[in-house]
Amino acid sequence: MQEYSSQAAYDRGEAVCVIGAGAAGLIAVKNLRENGFEVDCYERDTVLGGLWNPQNQHSPLYPNTHLVTSRSQTEIPDYPMPDHWPDYPSAAQMLEYLNGYAKHFGLSEHIWYGSEISGIDPVEGSRFEVVVKPAAGNSARRLRYAAVIIATGHHWTPNLPSYPGQDLYRGTILHSSQLKDGSRLRGKHVLVIGGGNSGTDIACEAAVNAAGCVHSVRRGYWHLPKYLDGEPADYALARLSKRPKLFRKYLTKRLLKGSRNLSTRMGMDKPDHDHTDEEPVRNGRYLEHVGDGSIDRRGEVAKFEGNEVIFADGTEFRPDIVVLATGYKPGIKCCPPELLGVEGESSQPKLLARMFSPRTETLAVAGLVEPGVGALPIVHWQTHAISHWLQVRKEDPERAAAFKHQVVSESAQYEVNSTGISPRHQLAVDVEEYLASLGRIIDTLEQEPAK
Amino acid sequence: MSLNDWIRRTRIPEPAPVAREVAVFEPADLYDVDTRDDPEAAPILCCTGDGAGAAAFNALWLKRIAASGRYAAAVSVRGQGGTPAAPGGIEARAHDVVQAVTGIPRQAVLVGHGLGAGWAALAAARYPAAALVMVAPGKLPKQLPKPVGGPPVLLVVSEDDAQSKGVQAIAETFGVAPLTFAGDANDVFKGTNAEGLLDAILSWLDRKD
Repeated sequence: MQEYSSQAAYDRGEAVCVIGAGAAGLIAVKNLRENGFEVDCYERDTVLGGLWNPQNQHSPLYPNTHLVTSRSQTEIPDYPMPDHWPDYPSAAQMLEYLNGYAKHFGLSEHIWYGSEISGIDPVEGSRFEVVVKPAAGNSARRLRYAAVIIATGHHWTPNLPSYPGQDLYRGTILHSSQLKDGSRLRGKHVLVIGGGNSGTDIACEAAVNAAGCVHSVRRGYWHLPKYLDGEPADYALARLSKRPKLFRKYLTKRLLKGSRNLSTRMGMDKPDHDHTDEEPVRNGRYLEHVGDGSIDRRGEVAKFEGNEVIFADGTEFRPDIVVLATGYKPGIKCCPPELLGVEGESSQPKLLARMFSPRTETLAVAGLVEPGVGALPIVHWQTHAISHWLQVRKEDPERAAAFKHQVVSESAQYEVNSTGISPRHQLAVDVEEYLASLGRIIDTLEQEPAK
Repeated sequence: MSLNDWIRRTRIPEPAPVAREVAVFEPADLYDVDTRDDPEAAPILCCTGDGAGAAAFNALWLKRIAASGRYAAAVSVRGQGGTPAAPGGIEARAHDVVQAVTGIPRQAVLVGHGLGAGWAALAAARYPAAALVMVAPGKLPKQLPKPVGGPPVLLVVSEDDAQSKGVQAIAETFGVAPLTFAGDANDVFKGTNAEGLLDAILSWLDRKD
């Protein structure tokens, strides 16, 4: 790239660079500051809050987005949400919460908005040279940092399938992130493709607003209502973990039995995986809408024929609007893939303990997991570990070496053997095992140095 | 708060929410006193075991803290002052303090008096306080968790209590030497002793800032 001049990079000394000012980036900045690091956080957009901010031009929010995990399982451990908020706060409340977090801990003054990172180059051993490209103009700057934390998330690049004959279709085809306004569905015949959380939510939205709603789902999912046994579902399930293993299995099965039976009655495929293997679909209204016929469930879409959509089972539907709720492609663009352990044909990063670069000690990724519970607490503990690690590394090389061994051996343990066909499921971890592993990592880092 | 404490807490029911009474005094609220408003200084949130709750700090504390340039607030936990009673023990009261402090615009100092010192100490194990100040602590839980974020800790006791076993134990837990003040442990809300005590706390905070 010729656009940046040959002038020397500005050296920021021991400072750490955080990429992204969404939830993960904000938590990273706060935890690094708490451990005494200077931090520069770069955000390509002009607002904080990442995907939770509808003003973010890449925001993936769709109409009426709510949390799918309950408040107590989703809030940042050291900054709880107001306890008079509902069990499942809305996207707007989530943004208010993140703004409050940033203000409370004075994070805004460390964020540089409108600054995209266009390159990260390792220099002099473990340091990094970061190329910051402003949104306007082409005068890129180069700065050197002691460490880099990537917190860009993985809900930015829409995963867009293409079907034969799609080009000739005259109606509207949208990705879920482009829908923005629910009134676009009003009075229309809507086809929603994709059986994940967003597809299910949008199908419910269409069920009450649209003239007709067909939902195309190609495989079985676990459907959980938002409440089980009078409690938020994720809390009710997490609470069982205190029990002995076999008893717990029995109780879990009993809790899930009702919604399992209902799914079967609605003619859904039996999921080919356990409910913890990948994020279940959490929506209490969906099955009722299927039950009252306002959502018509179909299989995979085979092709478009003119304005008709032909499904794999031969049935047809003529939609006015097609919503592709087909999720996102995980991917980190700003960083050379080999630093993240991307090897061979797979485009998946292979990180140690799902956060540390396998190639260099001072590069880490926060929040690149699908834990099946709220991501914020996981990111909190990840960045807590990362900032402690950077500190230990600086102060005590001997302990740092021992720690590296542990991380490598831990990493092998929680690979979930998911047969999932969608790319995001490769990010899935078993939350119990992952948290236990994070706990051991943090314990090692927080131990008093042996004298 | 360690990861395990957090996991444990997410798996027990949350205390019932209550509408908490919070009294707030900002430096800008004072017209009659010559203040130095310092936007950098951390706000202070006070709580006490006294049944009056937040109102106990109205006589002297809030105004004097605000006059020193800091945002001053006091909370009544469940069952105190204007906050309705609700079930829950010391954990629920610590929850009330955490909820009150996250409602303050900036990272705050936690000040606890009497039984309130225990709630403040528990709250500081969940919330990264700017500092933790325990004034004449009442009966504290035996096992006090480590504060998160490594805040500076100040223990203030009356001269009579300085040698007591309880105070020694707390001083040891937090690794601090207690600061002593003259007078009765319950006489901290007004009078000259109280003024001296409060000024000592404020100057300690200024030093730490």
